[in-house]
Amino acid sequence: MNRSDSPLFSSGLELGSFVVTSNVLHHSWAAISELYGEIHEPPSWASPVRFRTFQQPNCTIIAFVTWPPCTKEHLQGQGGGDLVSSSALKETFPLFEFLSTKTNPRFSINKPAIDLFASVRGVLDFLKSQISTKPLIIAGHFVGGSVASLFTLWLLDKINLATTKRPLCITFGSPLVGDDGLQEAILQYPAWNSCFLHVVSDRDPVPRVLISPHNIPSAPQSASASPTKEYKPFGTFLLCSQLGCACLENPESVLELLMANYSEGPGNQVLEFFDYKNIVQQLKGNVICKDSTAVLDEWIAQPLQAGIITQLAAIGLGRPQQQLQQQSIDMNKLITKTQEQEREWLFRRREAYDSKVLNEMKVNMAQLEWYKKFSEDEKIGYYDMFKNPYVSRNNTVERFKKSLTCYWIDMVDEKEKMPQRKGAAFATRFLFSGTNYRRMVEPLDIAEYYRDGETDYIAKGRTKHYKLLKQWLDEDESSASRPNNPKKQNLKGGLTEDSCFWAYVEEALISVNALSNGQYSSNDMDKHKRSLIQFDDYVWGMLKNYAVSPEIFLEKSSFMKWWKEYSEIIRKGIMGPSHTSPFTEFMQNRQYGQYAPGCM
Amino acid sequence: YQVQSAVTDRKQIVFTGHSLGGSIAILATLWFLEKFFKSDSKIPPLCLTFGCPLTGNRIFSHALGRENWASYFIHFVMRYDIVPRLLLAPIPSIEQEFESILQFFAAKSTNESAGGVPEEASDFHMIVMRNAASVATHAACNLMGSTNMLLETVTSFIALSPYKPFGTYIFCTGNGKLVVLRNPDAVLQLLFYSSQLGSEREVAEIPCLSLHQHFGYESELQESLEMQDVVDLKQLETLPLSAEVTGGDSATINSALNDLGLSTRARLCLRAAGVLEKRKQGNKRNIDAKEKDIHNAMNELETSYRAYCKLRKVGCYDAFKLQKNRQDFDANLKRLTLTGIWDEIIDMLKRYELPDDFEGQRAWVELGTRYRRLVEPLDIANYYRHLKNEDTGPYATKGRPKRFRYTQRWREHAEKMPAESSGESHFWAEVEELQAKTGNGEGFEEVKERVLKLERNIQKWVNGGEVEKDVLLEESTLVKWWKTLPQHHKLESCISGLIKN
Repeated sequence: MNRSDSPLFSSGLELGSFVVTSNVLHHSWAAISELYGEIHEPPSWASPVRFRTFQQPNCTIIAFVTWPPCTKEHLQGQGGGDLVSSSALKETFPLFEFLSTKTNPRFSINKPAIDLFASVRGVLDFLKSQISTKPLIIAGHFVGGSVASLFTLWLLDKINLATTKRPLCITFGSPLVGDDGLQEAILQYPAWNSCFLHVVSDRDPVPRVLISPHNIPSAPQSASASPTKEYKPFGTFLLCSQLGCACLENPESVLELLMANYSEGPGNQVLEFFDYKNIVQQLKGNVICKDSTAVLDEWIAQPLQAGIITQLAAIGLGRPQQQLQQQSIDMNKLITKTQEQEREWLFRRREAYDSKVLNEMKVNMAQLEWYKKFSEDEKIGYYDMFKNPYVSRNNTVERFKKSLTCYWIDMVDEKEKMPQRKGAAFATRFLFSGTNYRRMVEPLDIAEYYRDGETDYIAKGRTKHYKLLKQWLDEDESSASRPNNPKKQNLKGGLTEDSCFWAYVEEALISVNALSNGQYSSNDMDKHKRSLIQFDDYVWGMLKNYAVSPEIFLEKSSFMKWWKEYSEIIRKGIMGPSHTSPFTEFMQNRQYGQYAPGCM
Repeated sequence: YQVQSAVTDRKQIVFTGHSLGGSIAILATLWFLEKFFKSDSKIPPLCLTFGCPLTGNRIFSHALGRENWASYFIHFVMRYDIVPRLLLAPIPSIEQEFESILQFFAAKSTNESAGGVPEEASDFHMIVMRNAASVATHAACNLMGSTNMLLETVTSFIALSPYKPFGTYIFCTGNGKLVVLRNPDAVLQLLFYSSQLGSEREVAEIPCLSLHQHFGYESELQESLEMQDVVDLKQLETLPLSAEVTGGDSATINSALNDLGLSTRARLCLRAAGVLEKRKQGNKRNIDAKEKDIHNAMNELETSYRAYCKLRKVGCYDAFKLQKNRQDFDANLKRLTLTGIWDEIIDMLKRYELPDDFEGQRAWVELGTRYRRLVEPLDIANYYRHLKNEDTGPYATKGRPKRFRYTQRWREHAEKMPAESSGESHFWAEVEELQAKTGNGEGFEEVKERVLKLERNIQKWVNGGEVEKDVLLEESTLVKWWKTLPQHHKLESCISGLIKN
């Protein structure tokens, strides 16, 4: 029995209890009430957003509320549900641009929320300065919770999650903040998503106001024409009833259960200050009591199903009573559906990094290394060996190369999808193996390219993933700060540092051919001459640094072929009378015979 | 003294204790196991505790599992007794109330009828239970394979007790029945769930009970002895989830669970612990099945690659580093095959996905040592061949894979060697590092100590057969480097004799 066929569990109740016993809710709500207590003092400024930092012995709390509180009408009425798109934000308020990625470029945020957040823009850096090494809670109530969410999001871009503990944003009874674009931007990083905890009572209408009826996944998808107009949840929701609470992360279930467990009662139609004090208190008391809300049929043996039933019961969706009260909800259907959603969610989240694949890639690299070695023994170099279409061995090599390329394209894609700051934290080890791959495999791509008669590889043929791998290596601080030893003893794996070396060789060959044919306009000829001199310089620079593999001097290599023709045209004086350079001298004196790293 | 004479008389020794005395009994048993049981005595001891506070953390529990010692410990716990749960709360959180509770215990243990329950009892109980809830729910999320990282985020805000149970637990339901449980993960859950309050009405009653029950073991067990009603919870992964199961075996189990007041939710947690245990066993079977592949690949390296190197008159390390021929390449492929399998094993160990006793199994310890001696030199050769020391750092501190670190620890532990003393498989890395430092005969004085230590080790390992003699061949990196060392050093070196021959 391995991981994939072992029975699934749903831990929403346990996580809910854990959150409750950790006291984070208690502290957050205490901070919020204290902030409300200060409200009678005249505001120090015009913004309706009130905030304060509380330094507790073991954590820092930044609390946000708004005053006067917006009413339900405010949220639902004229413009309350408006969304501002990321493209509009880019011009007026560019703090969230980091969320846009190539695969998910657009998102929208609730307008009232972003307006409120914009009104505290001036103090963001001050608030950030309040954060110490203690763990941080960002708490907010009602619309203040939306501000807290946006503040947290802003903060996630500013701090380094690899070295700092993740902050925790806790909202109480807050409306949804953004659309599916925002949801996706956050959900694709489980670490980001884990920073948001939304506490919602079954009697609080506010968190539900922005959910339109056709937004519920169960409703017919007639509204799919304008999907971006809908609000979507992110983060974890702690749904509470008088019976208990449960944590939910799966956004589809969140939407559905938010609506299903809402119990309208007298008094909560008019929306006012919804006090979470009692709820927090009650949850705390419940934790150490036996939970007997769920009545389970004897035949239920699947832990996942049992887990869902107990969770639904805890948030007020127990079967017997509910079915009588609200005929509109078919509990059996709801259970089955939630269970399916949970199953799918768990599978999606468990797809983890696989060390087996990594090992397979190592084997492929070893195979190529061997191929390179074998080619050198044939006095040709693996670049030219691969360029020859009649070598039968190349078919196998092609296979290794393909599998490596697929792997790295995926990897690079994955990294590129990350917002800039996360992408920069590209693991060093990973970068090194990427570089090794690029130096080994790109020459083969170049060989293929020129074999097929194409030209100008660098501009037209080079694929994106090579460019990015190179760019990341250049950006990597650790490699820039490393002393570049000019007298290197050895070359990494005997590979030429510049993976595009052979493309320059091919271009130089084209130039040489053009010049020896001499059928071009003098303008073109000059251009070719210039590029040859450039190449001459380039190779000399590399040789001085031992940045190029000695295999280029092998008898049958394209480089030597170029040199023969190049020295021919120099002899003929095409490059100008008595053309000479350190490089040509080096070659003419056959010093390359001694060229082995460290000998010059 | 007494213990020694009992061992000589071939009697079984029972260590026992109540309350904190239980902890002492546990430590005494461990002392006995380490001192006598591993060598002379083959009669296992028995440790019985009653209302004993938790005594070790996760590592402690894991270590007992690895040695297969857990079964010698039997802990009796009353359903509501607060003491076994006490340490699930971090000490600072209960400090305030603890003083008066201790006074009560002290009075009670000397005088049966002494004093009433202190008024702090209720707060105290609440704090302990809430902390127990934290620990239990946190553990349960992990048992259930929670994918929500909120768990980690919230964990940074609290101090979780590190204590973890081990051994066999026998829970007394309070009506004479006994429930036996061996899975430590499940015991942790049961410690919390069995003492939950049935309703808030019990708030007044249970805290008193939680203190009094600490002294109720005698009468309770007397009753149990007469009833002989013992339920052994074994197949946790198939535990009935509903409280209303009737008929058959599961009815007996069910009534025991009901006697401990276990809701569906609590039962789910126990099941999750059972499923994890079963998965560990399954993983072990999968790994055991790979033993053959490991053997095959290693035999190949041991026989044909060694023979080929011998023929070429170079050591395996040097041949591999040069990668000159087809055979070297094949050896590299074999090395990678083995890497894959061992990395998988280590991954599972790190995730606690293998049974506790896996790392202590003789067959695996031996296989690990053989693997390490055979393949680690090749890994090092590969490391320095690709100049990974330039970007990653020295092999020993930055580049050594866990598969070798773990297997080295296994051996050191199994043979009671000092930590880090079985480094024979990676001496090549030290050779490479020293070689880089003493190039051109310079810099010797700075690393003299390291050179001397390396030489002593090499002498010991070569003579002991832990390192192959081929490292001393004329063309080996070691010998070539050694010859560059200053003359005066070489004359007195302890391996000069070895190298000349």
